[in-house]
Amino acid sequence: MSVDADADADAEAAETADDLRSYVESPIIMATVRVVSPFVFTYGLYLMFHGADSSGGGFQGGVIVATVMLMLGIAFGIDPLREWVGESTLVLVVAGGVAAFVAIGVGAVVAGGGFLDYSAYGIHHASKYGIEVVELFIGVIVASTITGLFFAIDAGKDGGDNE
Amino acid sequence: MNFELPLLAFVLASAVATAVLRDVLAAIIAFATYSLGIAVVWVVLQAPDVGLTEAAVGAGVTTVLFLLTIAKTVRPSGDRLLERLDVPALGVAVLFVGVLAATLGALPEIGAADNVVITSEVTHYYIEHAYHEAGVKNVVTAVLAAYRGFDTLGEAVVVYSAGVGLLVVLGKEVFA
Repeated sequence: MSVDADADADAEAAETADDLRSYVESPIIMATVRVVSPFVFTYGLYLMFHGADSSGGGFQGGVIVATVMLMLGIAFGIDPLREWVGESTLVLVVAGGVAAFVAIGVGAVVAGGGFLDYSAYGIHHASKYGIEVVELFIGVIVASTITGLFFAIDAGKDGGDNE
Repeated sequence: MNFELPLLAFVLASAVATAVLRDVLAAIIAFATYSLGIAVVWVVLQAPDVGLTEAAVGAGVTTVLFLLTIAKTVRPSGDRLLERLDVPALGVAVLFVGVLAATLGALPEIGAADNVVITSEVTHYYIEHAYHEAGVKNVVTAVLAAYRGFDTLGEAVVVYSAGVGLLVVLGKEVFA
């Protein structure tokens, strides 16, 4: 292979990389995401709330809710989505989710039971509701962490530093 | 109906494709199909909770994250479809598979009645008591969030730490 051909191939490769990087405003993708995302979001919530009675749970539901954010990012651009979410929202939500999980556990100790001993709360079906609330917070933690990873990895595309 | 063999062939073929394809984009897509196949394997093994996780995380989220990651790379020039074989790496992989395969004979058949999981006291305790003690119909969830709630708190903290660890590595305070 001659040097010229090599250079051509390199230029071509760089072009494909540009294509991969740049956001494509595709009406097909946008329309599909617009239609599909509410259903995916509902399915994620369903898995979180219904994980107690059928397969599913906070981890799976959280990942599927995060998928909605990934779809929105791919369809409408990641930078506008990041602006819409706000700079520090995700960090606050992740930390809040963990804090709420711990608070439920400590609350049971305060109410006179063991750590995460839901029946200590003394409400009807305490264990069932306790499990469901905990699953919901797990979902919040997982969904916001994955969305955060998505944003953080994307932020690296414009160069090493993004400040 | 025996669909296990075609399913295993599909999983193996997509795994090999992931390893040998030269274009990273093609390898990522092959990896997503591999995850999809594994998710179906979990459903065949009657573990729908794990199957859901594999389908959502393996075939869904990691694929998107990988695609974002390779956005800064360039595609290899030339028309060659497959990667050159790395003989030492292949040797290690074959050896590792051989060691794992040697343990296959010790595994019980799927759904065998004398399976140690089925005969175990703990399994019977959970199946008998989970509903009236934890009040939920899915025993897996009862074990995860009630009996082993503390472990699950640990898992949630692991996810949290993954996010914090990434921020520490990147030297940032927010995901942006």
